[in-house]
Amino acid sequence: MQSPDLNQNYFELFGLPAAFALDRARLLAAQQRLQSSYHPDRHVNDNDRDRRLSVQVASWINQAYETLQDPVKRSRYLLEISGADIPDDSTTTADTEFLMEQIELREAVEACREATDGLEQCQQIENRLTQRAGELADEFVDRFEADDLAGAVVLSRKMQFIQRIQQQLDELQFELEGL
Amino acid sequence: MALLQISEPGQSTAPHQHRFAVGIDLGTTNSLAATVRSGEAVCLADEQGRKLLPSVVHFAAGDKLLGYEALAMQANDPLNTIASIKRLMGRASEDVSRLGNTLPYETVIPAGSKVPRIRTRSGDFSAVEISAEILRVLAQRAAQSVGDELDGVVITVPAYFDDAQRQATRDAATLAGLKLYRLLNEPTAAAVAYGLDQNNDGTVAVYDLGGGTFDISVLRLNKGVFEVLATGGDSSLGGDDMDHAIGEWIISAAGFVEIDARLARRILIAARKAKESLTEAESAEISIADRQHNWSGTLIRSNFEGLVKGLLTRTLTACRRTLRDAGLKATDIDEVIMVGGSTRVPLVQSMVGELFARKPMCDLDPDEVVALGAAIQADVLAGNKPDSEMLLLDVLPLSLGIETMGGLSEKIITRNTAIPVSRAQEFTTFKDGQTAMSIHVVQGERELVSDCRSLARFELRGFPPMTAGAARIRVTYQVDADGLMSVTAEEATSGIAAEIVVKPSYGLTDGEIESMLRASMEHARDDIELRMHKEQQVEASRVIEAIDAALVNDGEQLLNPKERKLIVEHRDALATALESATTEELKRLIRAVEQASEFYVARRMNQSVRQALTGKQIDEVDV
Repeated sequence: MQSPDLNQNYFELFGLPAAFALDRARLLAAQQRLQSSYHPDRHVNDNDRDRRLSVQVASWINQAYETLQDPVKRSRYLLEISGADIPDDSTTTADTEFLMEQIELREAVEACREATDGLEQCQQIENRLTQRAGELADEFVDRFEADDLAGAVVLSRKMQFIQRIQQQLDELQFELEGL
Repeated sequence: MALLQISEPGQSTAPHQHRFAVGIDLGTTNSLAATVRSGEAVCLADEQGRKLLPSVVHFAAGDKLLGYEALAMQANDPLNTIASIKRLMGRASEDVSRLGNTLPYETVIPAGSKVPRIRTRSGDFSAVEISAEILRVLAQRAAQSVGDELDGVVITVPAYFDDAQRQATRDAATLAGLKLYRLLNEPTAAAVAYGLDQNNDGTVAVYDLGGGTFDISVLRLNKGVFEVLATGGDSSLGGDDMDHAIGEWIISAAGFVEIDARLARRILIAARKAKESLTEAESAEISIADRQHNWSGTLIRSNFEGLVKGLLTRTLTACRRTLRDAGLKATDIDEVIMVGGSTRVPLVQSMVGELFARKPMCDLDPDEVVALGAAIQADVLAGNKPDSEMLLLDVLPLSLGIETMGGLSEKIITRNTAIPVSRAQEFTTFKDGQTAMSIHVVQGERELVSDCRSLARFELRGFPPMTAGAARIRVTYQVDADGLMSVTAEEATSGIAAEIVVKPSYGLTDGEIESMLRASMEHARDDIELRMHKEQQVEASRVIEAIDAALVNDGEQLLNPKERKLIVEHRDALATALESATTEELKRLIRAVEQASEFYVARRMNQSVRQALTGKQIDEVDV
């Protein structure tokens, strides 16, 4: 008979610890349990006001789920609720080494397009990106747990760069497969 | 916030009262109604025991006919017989005037209105009104066969229906006096019909091949929760294309050269019959016999399969694309459901089975399955199954964006985001004392606003005048569980609010959505797009040349000045746009020219047949 407390953070909403490590099965189960109560379909015969509210609450739950299930968004959200100062997207990294790595990765992705064994090369880059994303996530956790929020913000940004390249690679792979 | 009345499962607050609820499949060609009776979903039949209701309305003098009776009038009185109205749902005057000649009936656009109407002898009607007529008949049928008052309905819509099309469907229900519990996506309904909510968790693909459209959807199931992960398809691919492929085979096998409209119709009917009998039989006898033709032949199944394989491969490509959107591989799919009459073709079942490496489910009648699922969902929403855990979560079919500087679309909510969903954005003023701003909301995947569909422009007014950049205008976009959007706006520092509900003034055709989706993928591959564009330009030039040659040849003889003017107008529109138009526009203009000159082509054929026959008689006399 209780509506959720909209002042909770997303982790609290789903009954999960506020940490980067995520139990996906628990998140999914919690999301569906909440939607089973608050989704507009559960309030078809209620009054207008409650029906409108259920749309808002269900939207909020969807938003929370989407944020937590994506590692980059999750890292950002963790920083946000921890009070970190998060620069907007236009801020560029000053880390030259990381910049070079990015340029090199992007060129490698582009090279797959022309290569005869493009799909194989894509697979290799994918493995590399997966590994890199894992390393960055580990570093993020280290910094975050050491309360180095500024350092964690930088890592969250790096994770985002890697994710973008992953998306580009994904696009290219489907293109090469003729989809 | 304690306003939501949440009750624990099984602990309903009021004593339970059974509500009579119906699920309706409002289809392009046929519509059906179904309800849950003694725990089982059944389609409702009319007094003659027919379950399908052709989605056709005929306006007779002082009377109105629906379904089969209306369908029977189509050939004799096309102008007063309205069919395929679903294609016009949620579409604006501009779309319809563009369609102009392809519609078998006359449309009018009342001054100052965005909504086109169809002119009949009984008055002018909008698509919403015509759909409401169909809904009313189905509701009456339901009330009669159950003998109870109808509480509410669930109506199904294609998963890719946009805001305007969903809104129009909702309006039709309101107009028919029905309480609409929910618009339900057709593939989700199919999954519900198969009772997959009672299965173990997993992912389901719904392959829906109808007469003229193909849809593929990927759903995820988890403890009674259905979630649409992605949808895709091809809105101009269906069973009719198989008929055409067989038709072409007949034409070449029989060596027919001159094909008039009547012969073409005869061939298509024979083709369809052959296709249907090849579902069971290994071969089909085909004969085309009339005064001028006498041909018979045999089409064996493997031959037929060779003819349609290319078409079906296209559906599989769409399947792979949609799997990609869902982030899954074909082998991740646990069940495949077949919907639509065309899935009766054995090759469809085997090719789909091969892609997903499992036997597709096809135990239920593929024509009924959507209505049956809608009935089950209606029963749950009515509250007749308080213990049911079934919950259907949907996604937004097309991205919503707003126009930014330079005519670009900035995506606010991307395609396949779970709904309901809301997003907020903050804007500021760029002039001192600015008290209003306008926002243009579009739907589609492309970068340029001009390539997306305009949903609405709305003005936010009444902000307190402030220095430039000081106002913080927070705009919230809310999409509800039916996929319909509303917008609210507030100036954050003063708390002054303005609410704007988006009244859609446009609608996208299925084809436009499909081509917009496809176009967005091709956008990344400019070279392919460029090639397609060149191809369309070449095709356009070919069409123009053909029209010009024909007009010189016998335009005076076969056309009255008005008809000639109509054709020339379309030809000129195409010629003018040849260099500047996009690929899609060219396609549309080419189609428009072809459609405008259809009757001319038929007349030319008749003419040449007549000349041929005349020639022959003279020869015979001579001999």
